[in-house]
Amino acid sequence: MPDAADGVGRAVVCAGLSCTFDAGGTPIEALAPTDVTFAAGRTTALVGPSGCGKSTLLRLVAGLETPTTGTIHIGDETPADLARRGALAMAFQDASLLPWRSLRGNVALALTLARRPADPARVGALIARVGLAGFEDRRPAELSGGMRQRAAIARALVSEPELLLLDEPFGAVDELTRRRLNDDLPALWQDRGATVLMVTHSVTEAVTLADRVIVLSPRPGRIVADIDVPLRRPRDVRGDPAFDRIADAVNDALRDTASDVRLAAQ
Amino acid sequence: MTTATLPAPASGRVVPVVSILAMLALWEIAARLWGGAVLLAGPGAIAVHAAENIGLLARATGTTLKSAVLGFFWGNLAAMALAAAVTLAPRSERLVSALALLVFCLPLVATGPILRVLYGPGDGPQVTLAALAVYYTTYVPLVVGLRAVPIAWLDLVRLQGRGAWTQLIRVRAMASLPYLVAGLQIAAPAAILGAMVGEFTGAERGLGVLTIRAMRALDVEATWTIATLAALASMVAYGVFGALGRRLSPDAPALLLAPPVAAARCGPLAVVMGVAAVTLIALAAWQGAMWLFDLSPFFAKRPGDVVAYLLTGPDAAAHRAALFAAYAQTLAYALPGYLAGLALGAGLACALVLAPGLAPATLPPAIALRSVPIVTTAPLIVLALGRGAVGTVVIVAVMIFFPTFVACLQGLRRAPGQITDIFASYAAPRWRLLLSARIPAMWPAFFAAARMGVPAAILAVTTAEWLATGNGIGALMALTASTSDYGMLWSTIVLVGVTATLAHAAVATVERAVLARYAPEQAARG
Repeated sequence: MPDAADGVGRAVVCAGLSCTFDAGGTPIEALAPTDVTFAAGRTTALVGPSGCGKSTLLRLVAGLETPTTGTIHIGDETPADLARRGALAMAFQDASLLPWRSLRGNVALALTLARRPADPARVGALIARVGLAGFEDRRPAELSGGMRQRAAIARALVSEPELLLLDEPFGAVDELTRRRLNDDLPALWQDRGATVLMVTHSVTEAVTLADRVIVLSPRPGRIVADIDVPLRRPRDVRGDPAFDRIADAVNDALRDTASDVRLAAQ
Repeated sequence: MTTATLPAPASGRVVPVVSILAMLALWEIAARLWGGAVLLAGPGAIAVHAAENIGLLARATGTTLKSAVLGFFWGNLAAMALAAAVTLAPRSERLVSALALLVFCLPLVATGPILRVLYGPGDGPQVTLAALAVYYTTYVPLVVGLRAVPIAWLDLVRLQGRGAWTQLIRVRAMASLPYLVAGLQIAAPAAILGAMVGEFTGAERGLGVLTIRAMRALDVEATWTIATLAALASMVAYGVFGALGRRLSPDAPALLLAPPVAAARCGPLAVVMGVAAVTLIALAAWQGAMWLFDLSPFFAKRPGDVVAYLLTGPDAAAHRAALFAAYAQTLAYALPGYLAGLALGAGLACALVLAPGLAPATLPPAIALRSVPIVTTAPLIVLALGRGAVGTVVIVAVMIFFPTFVACLQGLRRAPGQITDIFASYAAPRWRLLLSARIPAMWPAFFAAARMGVPAAILAVTTAEWLATGNGIGALMALTASTSDYGMLWSTIVLVGVTATLAHAAVATVERAVLARYAPEQAARG
């Protein structure tokens, strides 16, 4: 594993992976059989129209759904093995903080669930690093949407995961806040060399954060474009022609998936 | 008009007080005018009687409250354990819920005397009946609360390879707290009711015993004083848990909106199999309990004894005739009372929406009375309306009316704001908004109230018959309890329990059909 030499992350290898849901007797193929490897220590973004199976793919890798066919391996482990070691973490679209726990309590809970010893110093430090120092004792209801998403990121990172899964982590906040979060937070996980898989609706967000953007087609989801993002960090969204070229390529691929739908409808 | 619909903060607090004072005044005037004719005692007479007998009343209240508190504790503990079990093993829910309902539908009036024989003297039966009166109304919302958790919170636990137990402890238990408190709020007055019914059926001390004594002696002041005391205790208990709930979460869940256990979309064969399984397990539990505790077959009848008594024994035909004659009488009271209570509750709620000016005057007393288990005031209605059919029907109707009224009012107000805004943008009249938007939004609450009203109606009618009217199945229970005709007593329990369970299932079937159209998000659960 040469590309993982300096990080904790390992490659995620999906082979023949598919997922079909049973919707009241009618099978719905969410993900067509897919072979894909998410490189160790890299950030991969999954983009595509609504219902294209990108969240299903993420949840399969998280071990939250059971594949209908195929396998997922991280080294010689399965997602369930990773989960049992507490080596996996996820952040959700709505921050999903427990409303009866303080910010500190929410972050600390992730350590407990991951079977790690309590570590108040580490919890405090991480809350400070996401920019929420001074808000440790607040309840989620007392925080703004952006602050809640910062808290969710702190919670996901506190157990030092090897595999980090982000399901539209900034999808529920306004555009301005989202841009600030995109500027502030990715450094936290990029430093550690964790393998990151994220789902997003925003092409700009995908190209800003990811090393690689995968475009999925509408249901059943299949990979229709696989675009490298060889840009240096930190990336500036505004006025970089290389950035625009890549974003255009992603947008073109997304437009093609839409025309597929129209053709299928005819 | 404006002041009525949008009361200023100060008058918002004053109006209920004014309306309660007005009601007290009306009550006193009515008592002075017609007290002699309809056996009505006014607040003044009640206060005098209470002051003269303060020691006796205080001791009796203390006894009843002690039984109620113990029953409240055990019943809710059982509800929590059942709800947790069902959450950990979701496949068991259908079966556990059906059995829990069946036990809840057993008539307290008839189980009381049997428990009295089992326990001997003491407060065992009262505590058990109080527990039986509360556990189901806590179990149902708690199961909903333990379920109604965002998937992401549960995923958070699963992501670390943790299972259902950790989800229950770390996430579901806390998340369901508002539902638990809402259930406890309903349970608090119900525990007082259970304890009093236990005392009706043979205790040495307590408010229920004083009630029986006062009724036998036709002591109007005493009957009214005891009923007022029981009602006040119920209101206070209800209010305390209401305040606790508001402290915990300002927007408490609408408890009565808890949907019924969804029937799986399966064929009639599976339904028959399910019913057969529940019946078999209930019979096995019944037989097993008798065998386990080695109870005397003289009073602890087994399923086989009841079959022999009603079907195969020597006098089976006579037994059946007596049982079903009483049963028919009871249904003739219970059904009209039940339907009238539902219609009046829903109708008055709709009327109040059309004329919101009346709300400040009618709502606080209605909500206060909603918490009063009407059975504790049944003696009053009997005193006022006599021992005939009218009195019994009114008791059933009143028992059903208040919960239905409050639930329907909540339901009517659940019409989404944007939808009412659309009607407002066309300047649609109030009745149009009521018909097209508010009544459809009311159905879930109405049917939940109708469902829970089934056991309540049975309790009301059997208690009224037991205490006063001397006919119907309640009187049969009283008679057989005093003559030790335990074969008949057990037969009444089986018949009434099965009737209530089937009626509950029938209402739930109508409910599912209506909700599938008007509130698909509620019907789709499970």
